[in-house]
Amino acid sequence: MVRVNTHDPERQEVTSRRSFLLGGGVGLMFTVVAGRLYQLQVVDHDKYVDLAQQNQFNRRILTPLRGEIIDRFGNVLATNRNNYRILFVPEQARDVDEALDKISNLVPISDAKRRRITREIRRRGAFTPVEVGANLSWDEFSKLNFELPHLAGVLPDVGETRDYPLGEASAFVIGYVGAVTEEDLARHPDDETRLLLRQPGFKIGRDGLERTYESELRGAAGEMNVKINAHGRVIEEFRDEAIPPVQGKTLTLTIDAELQQKATEILATPGERMPDEPQSAAASVIDLVTGDILVLASTPAFNPNDFNVGINPQLWKELNESPYNPLLNKTLTGAYPPGSTLKMISAIAAQESGFSRHKTTYCPGRMWYGNRYFHCWKRGGHGTVDMKGALKHSCDVYFYEIAKELDIDLLADVARRFGLGQTYEIGVSGQQKGIVPDREWKRSYYAGNPENQTWFQGETLSAIIGQGAVTATPLQLAIMAGRIATGKAVRPRLVRAVGDLILPAPQAADINVNPAHLATVREGMNAVTNEYGTAARSRLEMPEWQLAGKTGTSQVYAITAEDRAKGLTEPEDLPWERRDHALFVCYMPYENPRYACSVLVEHGIGGARAAGPKAREIMRAVAEKDPASLPPIDPRNLAAKSASSERRG
Amino acid sequence: MSSLILPGRQRGIREKLTRLHLPLLVLLTMIAGAGVITLYSTAEGSWQPWALRHGLRYVAALAILIGMGVVAIRYWMALAYPIYFVALIALIAVPFIGEVNMGARRWIEYGGFQFQPSEAMKIGLVLGLARYYHGLRAEQVSHFLYLIPPALMIGAPVGLVFIQPDLGTALLLAATGVILVFVAGLSWRLGFLGLLGGVAAGYGAYRFEFLKPYQLERILTFLNPDRDPLGQGYHLLQSKIALGSGGLDGKGFMEGTQSQLKFLPEMQTDFIFTIFGEEFGFVGAVGLLALYLSVILTGISIGVASKSHFARLAVIGVVITFSLYVIINTGMVMGLAPVVGVPLPLVSYGGTVMLTIMAGFGIVMSAHIHKDQDVLRSGDFL
Repeated sequence: MVRVNTHDPERQEVTSRRSFLLGGGVGLMFTVVAGRLYQLQVVDHDKYVDLAQQNQFNRRILTPLRGEIIDRFGNVLATNRNNYRILFVPEQARDVDEALDKISNLVPISDAKRRRITREIRRRGAFTPVEVGANLSWDEFSKLNFELPHLAGVLPDVGETRDYPLGEASAFVIGYVGAVTEEDLARHPDDETRLLLRQPGFKIGRDGLERTYESELRGAAGEMNVKINAHGRVIEEFRDEAIPPVQGKTLTLTIDAELQQKATEILATPGERMPDEPQSAAASVIDLVTGDILVLASTPAFNPNDFNVGINPQLWKELNESPYNPLLNKTLTGAYPPGSTLKMISAIAAQESGFSRHKTTYCPGRMWYGNRYFHCWKRGGHGTVDMKGALKHSCDVYFYEIAKELDIDLLADVARRFGLGQTYEIGVSGQQKGIVPDREWKRSYYAGNPENQTWFQGETLSAIIGQGAVTATPLQLAIMAGRIATGKAVRPRLVRAVGDLILPAPQAADINVNPAHLATVREGMNAVTNEYGTAARSRLEMPEWQLAGKTGTSQVYAITAEDRAKGLTEPEDLPWERRDHALFVCYMPYENPRYACSVLVEHGIGGARAAGPKAREIMRAVAEKDPASLPPIDPRNLAAKSASSERRG
Repeated sequence: MSSLILPGRQRGIREKLTRLHLPLLVLLTMIAGAGVITLYSTAEGSWQPWALRHGLRYVAALAILIGMGVVAIRYWMALAYPIYFVALIALIAVPFIGEVNMGARRWIEYGGFQFQPSEAMKIGLVLGLARYYHGLRAEQVSHFLYLIPPALMIGAPVGLVFIQPDLGTALLLAATGVILVFVAGLSWRLGFLGLLGGVAAGYGAYRFEFLKPYQLERILTFLNPDRDPLGQGYHLLQSKIALGSGGLDGKGFMEGTQSQLKFLPEMQTDFIFTIFGEEFGFVGAVGLLALYLSVILTGISIGVASKSHFARLAVIGVVITFSLYVIINTGMVMGLAPVVGVPLPLVSYGGTVMLTIMAGFGIVMSAHIHKDQDVLRSGDFL
């Protein structure tokens, strides 16, 4: 029997009741949804309108072009050139590793670089473009553009990079730029600057003037609003309302690029006697009227263009390990015993202490003092010499005789008056002060050891011929020569103008030395080159440009009796790093001086043979051009550049 | 046996068509129309690739609805269990022969025709449960033994869909089934206990890493959208920005900047309500919600008016599924529910869901047309 389901009022009633309840529940839920809609669309409407704007509009930083660096005549020392590069937006690529593999098929990416890229991606987040390749050749760049549809997240870009046309020759003056580090960011607390520094491939001055004048060279960022879609792709640019970036200021230097280059070549050319010898040398030339540094050269040097690109580790290793210090600017970061080039200072100190220039001394080649012999450089001795003769022949014994009575503090005072023992505000960091020893210096040098604090007169005998503790940088020696020549406290400068603002030439105060005393040393220096003195070979055969100079040979290693027994008598027999340093200081013209110069050749054995000829050739080039007679560029006439370099990403 | 078919009388197709519930069809068509307009706008003012196909699919689905509507409700009752079991077998088969799509195995492909068993199960479960409760007396509904079959009927497909994995559909099926059991007359006491059990199961699932990482991620993101603004929460934030910036009266047709600029993912499917809300504002969105509510209330009235218990429960079951779709989807794009991938019925682009919904309303229509027909309590009614 089949029971027919006609009426079951109870369950029908329950179901109906519950159905209405369901309807009520749904109605309630809809009310909640509508309430939420009301909150979003009506109550919080303004907030979301703001957020929507932020979604759509993005402020793009327009990076400024870095200011140029030019020489006194407007020749370019540092400029900007196109840099074809690849940016990569991790967020747009499905798989970062896969994308990098694809890119490296076209443009090689080393393992080290790859690690750096992944690190950067992690640090900067998925939306910031990261530079994965720079300084591509046009060939590589066009190949990449061709493959672009298959490379998700890749953004080809034309950026700017620094270019140093003189390369090695200007390395130490200009310095170089490098990638921005976390420390750089930490030094710039304001957000605007950080934003600029974070732009992909942005470079900051790392060394030399590039670093010192970073804030002037950097320029001011511009900005432009762009409309973007959710993938960060720019779909509209608002160029009309953009604030254009302002290029950094042009830096006009006192350097003469042509002479700088020539001096670098002269320094790097080995002498006739040892044609295979690498020349680790430095030269400085100063205009004595203005203090303008015309040449500041040091060899060997690195090429700053290698550093922009991110230096390759192999090259970096070579530069670091080279005994010739290609990373050091020897004109001012190297302090050397000045040797006989200090004798002008000694002669003035002697005269100030009452020693007459006419008093003579007999030089037998050595002198007994204390408990040992002090040797003259000339074994056979110079016979009877007066002060001028002692300078002309660089007689050591003559100065030993003076030193027996001379107060070291007076010698030190004269040395400082002539520019030693101090640094100069020329915008290049790493300058050495050198050592001008006196009693106070010895006390502080041996502060922890009171027994060694007493100054012995025997030490004055070493100091007076520029040996022992005394050291000076080649730049200081050029300044010293300049002060002897002019009787004024010549102060050097390297930057003539920042932007269109010409910096005033430093005023040279009177040096406060008895003119008669100065005349003695000038005559002595003139005799060195022009009266068959120690540097007769370095005489400059230009009547209008009579060159007065002084040789210096500073001992690095004393040949011992033991060495002699082994047959090691000549300096050439020593290994390079034990040979004496060669120095030469000079100025010209002898009457009415205009230029001073110093040359150092590390381990060049003798000032007369290694440094003198180089100085003569450099001064010949200076004399032939006479840069001081030519009108320098007026920085106010430089075309105002505000060209923008715009970076997408 | 024909003498046993009670009471009602056989009607011709023509007469049945005159009994179609026209207001319901108008409401559904208006909703689908909103979908076409929004899809047209989403494609930046183009009939391609979505709007035209959406419209054509609706027309086809409407024909199916009407076709199903004229089939007598007793036939649907006869087919209830078969449909349920076919869907269940298909679900069991999916892991072995299914197509993997986006990490989940949900589809069965047969002769170029794609078939998603979990969608069929949405109809199958409703029919199966309605059929089951049709045979119970009121006092049996809350009896423990009689609760075992529906628990299995719900649990089996929910478990199978969950391991596909498709958390959204699994929850939807479970909720539909449980609510339908409640409507069928489950006692309040048991209902409350069931709710407690559900919460405990949810906690257990979370606790014992029962969920896939992305599922857990979605739920955690839902609980705190600011957690990860560029990941899961990013989409929700973008959705809220689009809706919120739409304001009271919207940005206007085809003027929705956020959606046009592609800040939203899956705009044409899961997030289509956002686009509608951005362009037509609060007024438009509430209007659309009102249309949905009208459909739901119409459905409930049809269900309540049905003479047979099967028809009543089947109609309510369809209404429950439909309501859950709307509530979860709109809640999801506004941050009231986790982003679980539930489309907005008839507006979101997608053929399978449209077919499921319209087939469901086909049964509703059948119940309405045959509302005076009663059917036997047991199975042998033919």
